[in-house]
Amino acid sequence: MPTIDVDYKELDHLLNVKLNGDMTKLDDILAYVKAEVKAFDEKEGSVSIEMKDTNRPDLWSIEGLSRALQGYLNHAKGIKQYSVGKSAVEVDVHANLWNIRPFICCAVIKDIHLSDSTIKGIMHLQDKLDQTNGRSRQKTSIGIYNLDLIKPPIEYTAVKPEDVKFVPLGFTEEMGLNEILMRHPKGVEYGHIVKKNPLYPMLFDSEGKVLSFPPIINSNDLGKITEESRNLLVEVTGTLHKTVLNTLNLVTLALIDRGGKAYSATINYPEKSDYPQKTVVTPDFSNRVVALSVEYTNRLLGLKLTSEKICELLLVAGLGVEKVSSDCVSVLVPCYRVDVMHQVDIVEDVAVAYGYNNIESTWRELPTTGRAKPDQRYIDVARELMVGLGYQETLNTTLTNPDVLFSKMNAPPTKFIELDNPKIVTMTCLRSWLLPSLMEFLACNASVEFPQKIFELGKVTLPDETRETQTRDEDWLAAATTHPNANFSEIKSALDSFMANFGVEWQIKETVHPSFIEGRVGKVIVGGVEVGFVGEVNPAVLEAWKLENPAAAFEINFRRLLEGKTLEKVIDKL
Amino acid sequence: MAELRTQEQQLLSALESLGGTATVDQLIQACGIQDTAVMRTALTLQEKSFVAIHAKIQNVIKLTPEGEKYAKDGLPERNLILAVAELGGTADLQAAAKKANLAQEFIQIALGWTIRKKWATYTPQNNTLHITEELLHQTTLPEDCDENFLKHLNTKHQAAQEDLSSDLQKAVEQLKKRKLLTIEPKTTRTLQITAEGKKAAINGSANLALNETIKPIITQLKPQDIINGTWRDAELQKYNIQAPVIKTWGGKKHPYLQFLDEVRAKLVQLGFQEMTGTAVETSFFNFDALYVPQDHPAREASDIYYIKDPQCGDISQHAHALEHVKETHEHGGKTGSTGWGYKYSLEAAQRLLLRGHGTCLSARTLETGKFEVPSRHFSIARVYRPEITDKTHLSEFNQVEGIVIDENLNLRDLLGVLGKFAKEIAGADKIRFKPDYFPFTEPSVELSAYKEGYGWVEFGGSGIFRPEVMQPLGVKQPVIAWGLGVDRLFMMRAGIEDIRQIFSQDLGWLRKKQVT
Repeated sequence: MPTIDVDYKELDHLLNVKLNGDMTKLDDILAYVKAEVKAFDEKEGSVSIEMKDTNRPDLWSIEGLSRALQGYLNHAKGIKQYSVGKSAVEVDVHANLWNIRPFICCAVIKDIHLSDSTIKGIMHLQDKLDQTNGRSRQKTSIGIYNLDLIKPPIEYTAVKPEDVKFVPLGFTEEMGLNEILMRHPKGVEYGHIVKKNPLYPMLFDSEGKVLSFPPIINSNDLGKITEESRNLLVEVTGTLHKTVLNTLNLVTLALIDRGGKAYSATINYPEKSDYPQKTVVTPDFSNRVVALSVEYTNRLLGLKLTSEKICELLLVAGLGVEKVSSDCVSVLVPCYRVDVMHQVDIVEDVAVAYGYNNIESTWRELPTTGRAKPDQRYIDVARELMVGLGYQETLNTTLTNPDVLFSKMNAPPTKFIELDNPKIVTMTCLRSWLLPSLMEFLACNASVEFPQKIFELGKVTLPDETRETQTRDEDWLAAATTHPNANFSEIKSALDSFMANFGVEWQIKETVHPSFIEGRVGKVIVGGVEVGFVGEVNPAVLEAWKLENPAAAFEINFRRLLEGKTLEKVIDKL
Repeated sequence: MAELRTQEQQLLSALESLGGTATVDQLIQACGIQDTAVMRTALTLQEKSFVAIHAKIQNVIKLTPEGEKYAKDGLPERNLILAVAELGGTADLQAAAKKANLAQEFIQIALGWTIRKKWATYTPQNNTLHITEELLHQTTLPEDCDENFLKHLNTKHQAAQEDLSSDLQKAVEQLKKRKLLTIEPKTTRTLQITAEGKKAAINGSANLALNETIKPIITQLKPQDIINGTWRDAELQKYNIQAPVIKTWGGKKHPYLQFLDEVRAKLVQLGFQEMTGTAVETSFFNFDALYVPQDHPAREASDIYYIKDPQCGDISQHAHALEHVKETHEHGGKTGSTGWGYKYSLEAAQRLLLRGHGTCLSARTLETGKFEVPSRHFSIARVYRPEITDKTHLSEFNQVEGIVIDENLNLRDLLGVLGKFAKEIAGADKIRFKPDYFPFTEPSVELSAYKEGYGWVEFGGSGIFRPEVMQPLGVKQPVIAWGLGVDRLFMMRAGIEDIRQIFSQDLGWLRKKQVT
């Protein structure tokens, strides 16, 4: 979830509600836009605000937040009006970008006075948009330049990496494009985006000076903004025109809110090319019209709102109204509300403006029958039996690693489900049997009083090509006992008691299992089917886990146990 | 005067005959009473002021098996140097080792000590040992403290560190480093008879001699005592019932699983039926079917676990839903939505992952079309996120989620469902709703529950599935989706502040945790 850090004083001033440091009050206000205070640093005077809605980039600046809240705070209703003048700045786009990074949108900002904190705020917004909305600059990336140093028209083209050299932002010497990808921190971070293609995107002015190497880095000469910069050029490049334009709109609006005057730029796409439009003027602040059905709204909310009441609520929510009739409202949606995809999104705004806590809730009596999953009853019975036998139930993670599953168990690896992107070395795969979890548990309790008897009835995941997910999960049951006199007889006796009480007839058959002592381990057979094993743990395994007491254990496939021939009998007995 | 029992008299007499002071071990030998009984009797005698018990802690030195071997056969360096001497004072290391019968793993140890004790010099170039000048002139190899002490232990088997001279102390340190001996504290208890005790011992002996009025004493009642009736003529010894006893640890259900059992029971009672599925899920059901676009940050490797092999699942049996989901993502399809406006990838839909939420089970239930109207469903699902685990994050945890399906369900019903959960499951005194966000629901509501003593806690999230979710899955009725923050609730109840405790591997905690 995006989190933005804002200056407390600025926020207090822009919201104009006299917060007096009351974060609960701020939380209540932010709730209208699904945001909440994550942290408040009173000393630094900064507030961290977390946005639950990942689809509202218009909220990721202090200006955007106050714009979205103005209706709820009763400062101003409806859509905030923004105007854009016309500038002579043109951008010529080359056809060779079509398969690389085809789209660009530009705006010109004039007469802006930037303070250190505004520059920081703008950079913060730029970064949030690049990261979240721009999918780490893959989809969109933003560049801001000192317009006074640039001679338009601007050229957006793709070049061979060896053909261009310039001084990247934060450096003093000229570097080639490949050198930037290797040496500049941003090149290292985002280089993979451009490396897919033989040609790299570049922005030049009419004198051939480099503006930037999008989406990697600006030029140190033209692409550096200081408190002295008065006139700016804002540019967004990317792969999807809609997102590129939306992003440019958001940055431009934030700069207007900061006192700048916005002017448009004309983007000329090549004549003979795949581009659907040849000339585009950006930014574009025009509103969309979305038809909202009054009946649909009331059906979804369970309310009886008139179209007039709905209009009133829409204005509170910062939306506009074009036309009203008794059964339909033509809603004006401002350009920055990119989250509105369906009228249902507007219905929610109506509900939020109405107030969730003002809506009377109802518990609908429905003739439905509750049911736990089919095996649950047997799972419960099995757990009770194990508890009765003096075994403590444990709960272990299903994420583990091959060392635990096989090496430490002295067992050869069998097929298991491995993660492609493990986060920590101890959790790299899903467990394929339970006993390793129990041994790991015991290894953590060397200094706890003995005897120790534990069990788990839990899930294992096994590869299964016949299934949709190529895996199947099964409930298995494993138990272990360890103390100075633990041995095979003890665990066999416990298993025997469990089986008898569970109503299952079982046989034991000699087998070899490397986790157990040879001659002290057997297969557990139910209805002619092998369901698990029981045995005395191999000292090699105990040593691997640094356990000093003998241990004995059993593990059974609980699902298969239930499927066993005696299932009918079990049901009768229970 | 206090009355004495047989064992007490025996012990007191034995102590007196041993000169009035004796260790517990000496007393066991002297009077033939069992170990534990001597101590118990001694405690009783101390209560009666007949004896005083003095405890002394000593560090007892014993040989390890390796140490025992050297004490018997001599240290390896001695054997090595003797072999070199026999070979003429200069010898190849391997040859000398062979003559000294040294196993391969001890050669380096022996060599090291030979040099350290200045018995020989070593030339690595030709692997040769030379006995030092000094030593050549001596007739016998001098014995150092360490060797003396080993010999001492070989005959006495143990020694108290406190009794040793400072030279020997040093030798002990050295031998301990070589892992040839162990030092462990041992408490020796000495009994000393008091003046009163002496009198009692004399009187007691007289009584013992008469031996008529004293009944046999039974400590542990045995079957034959009951069968033969001998208990009638015996005195059943009174126990010190205040004495601490060995702890009994029975089995118990795991507190968190027991809590989930309760939640399950409540939900079943409220008319919900349980859904199940596998931990491994396709991206299609975990994301696409829930209208999460394929380039959404939640799908990045930092936010969801992907499966290494195989990478793709088989979603061919969901071809119909897949087609509709694809067009809805791309341009809204028949839903009236704008859609996300990107090119949908079938490959991305098949990608296998570990489910990141339980909502995929709801999507699956809806996709089958085999549900009743009305119906209520729930799942208790293990879900996975690539988090670094800390006090508030787990990479694996349980989610309780579900759906309600009925004609004309609306936001008021949704609030009603949440209210019911707050009351029935969390036992909340007050509740409050806030706007919330999920990619798959609109409107979305967050539930906060207030409980006396705990304050406000976020307890659940809920919403009505978006048309972009419902239409492609072919669902005609509105569906309320909900999820409950059960972990927080459990932590509050169990009084724990660290979420990792849910998967605690601390047997001590599980044993002591009260059943609630």
